[in-house]
Amino acid sequence: MLTGYLIYGLINSVVLVLVALGFNLTFGISGVANFAFGALYVTAGFLAWIGLNTLSLPYWVSAPLAVLITAVLAGLLYRVVVLRVRGLVVSEVIATFGVGLALLELFRFLGFIGFEYTLPDAGDFGVSVLGVVIDSQRLLIVAMGAALTAFLWLFTRYTTTGRAFRAIAQDEHTALTLGINTERTATIAVAFGAGYAAVAALVILPLGTIAVNEGYNVLVNALAVCIVGGLGSTLGVIVASFLIGMAQTLTAAYLGTHWMMIVSLVAILLILLVRPSGLFGSHKQLEERI
Amino acid sequence: MLTVTELMVFYENALAVNELSLKVETGQVVGVIGSNSAGKTTLMNTLSGLILDQQIKEKRKGGERITIMGKVEFEGRDISLMPAYERVRLGLVLCRERHPVFPDSTVLENLLIAGHLGSKEQVKRATDLTFDLFPNLVRWRRRKAGFLSGGEQQMLAIGMALVVGPRLLLLDEPLLGLSPAMQQVVVGAIKNVRRQTGATIVIAEQFARPVLPMIDHGYVIENGMLTMTGTGAQLMDNPEIKSAYFGV
Ligand SMILES: Nc1ncnc2c1ncn2[C@@H]1O[C@H](COP(=O)(O)OP(=O)(O)O)[C@@H](O)[C@H]1O
Ligand SMILES: [Mg+2]
Repeated sequence: MLTGYLIYGLINSVVLVLVALGFNLTFGISGVANFAFGALYVTAGFLAWIGLNTLSLPYWVSAPLAVLITAVLAGLLYRVVVLRVRGLVVSEVIATFGVGLALLELFRFLGFIGFEYTLPDAGDFGVSVLGVVIDSQRLLIVAMGAALTAFLWLFTRYTTTGRAFRAIAQDEHTALTLGINTERTATIAVAFGAGYAAVAALVILPLGTIAVNEGYNVLVNALAVCIVGGLGSTLGVIVASFLIGMAQTLTAAYLGTHWMMIVSLVAILLILLVRPSGLFGSHKQLEERI
Repeated sequence: MLTVTELMVFYENALAVNELSLKVETGQVVGVIGSNSAGKTTLMNTLSGLILDQQIKEKRKGGERITIMGKVEFEGRDISLMPAYERVRLGLVLCRERHPVFPDSTVLENLLIAGHLGSKEQVKRATDLTFDLFPNLVRWRRRKAGFLSGGEQQMLAIGMALVVGPRLLLLDEPLLGLSPAMQQVVVGAIKNVRRQTGATIVIAEQFARPVLPMIDHGYVIENGMLTMTGTGAQLMDNPEIKSAYFGV
């Protein structure tokens, strides 16, 4: 029994890693609080669904298209809405949260509710680990979690754009004096983060249905992971995902699934009381930014 | 190479730079001498485009706190409205005051970030030049820049500016907060930069003594206004300069 919980806890942790990486990339790196993140996640799910079912596109067209459109939408959101209030953190939060809210409720209004909104999964095979059977979709989630983490790590260290991400996160003025087009870089970072959210959505959503409420849950989870891990720290994201992911699964197992979301909220409160900069936050970014 | 004509910069209603005109010829080392809050940083930031950037951001938020008037020409081209990052592409590179480095990145990463415009070979050459000029940095290349001393960070900051590939290098108070020994190292390096890269250099400083001997021409500013100008030697011999900027 416990082995099963532990293994499913680990998988749940990878789900959190997937969800939080993109948020962390945008918030920690471009310094923009994109609180429409959860809405973009759900949007990617619905876009893929529309591509598959309404437009009857094959999966290999519909899925990349959903990721691309979500990224472009986020870039536009940044250009049109966020740029005007950039630096006024409270306004950034309110503006992006407002847009996210509108987007999510628009889906609800248009009738995107129900059990038919599902995405195809990876198929019917499973692998047994220590006597626990893990289905193919969950295996895919673990593989994607590892791949996206590795890709982000390499990207921010070995590419010009990735280095520019790290530069604008640390000191925007200095980046500008080195010839980095900071606003374009920030736009790319926001789009990149949303692309990560979209990929996460495409591998995670097949486990259940595409539901508007997922948007809120994803935002809370991403926020919890980033606050506990320390904004901007990839290592922080991973460690915090495993702490919260295990805690969530064990809570669900022993107290009931409706207690799961409480774990994230309690984690946020605890870390704010004990160590506001997060486990791996090198600066007092959080106090400064929120 | 650079011509500034009747530049005025206001913050709110406070005048930080007042009808300032100056000229920098290709190959020169030019000094801008002024005490604290004389307007040196405002001038350098206007030349590099940072003030313009700040002004645009404030305007977007609905404020009109900053006013810029006058003209800045670089190689005969009016760049007054050119964004900061584009000026860098022309070879106009500023090294901001208080050793601006990326603290969470290693020394090497800092130099690589600075080299984002250049080709691999260019960056390699400039990085080697930096380590030649500042041998102290070599052993810290894998260390996070935030852990370096103030002097070492200043060296790295100058190195980063070099990696960008300046044709006109603006240095804002490169000696600020450094020990006299460290000041000598940085002064020596600046002379070397001129010799090895042929870059034209503008140095803003409040310490006139180490700077005057190496400049071709100097401008003294007070309260944003030009009060005196002359060759380095002329300014060195001026009794007013001696009493005001050489200390006791
Ligand atoms: N961002 C700003 N907002 C308002 N006033 C400023 C700002 N920056 C500088 N000032 C004012 O402008 C004047 C010139 O400052 P500065 O250019 O920093 O001088 P320096 O670099 O020679 O010390 C000072 O009186 C300073 O108080
Ligand atoms: Mg200054």
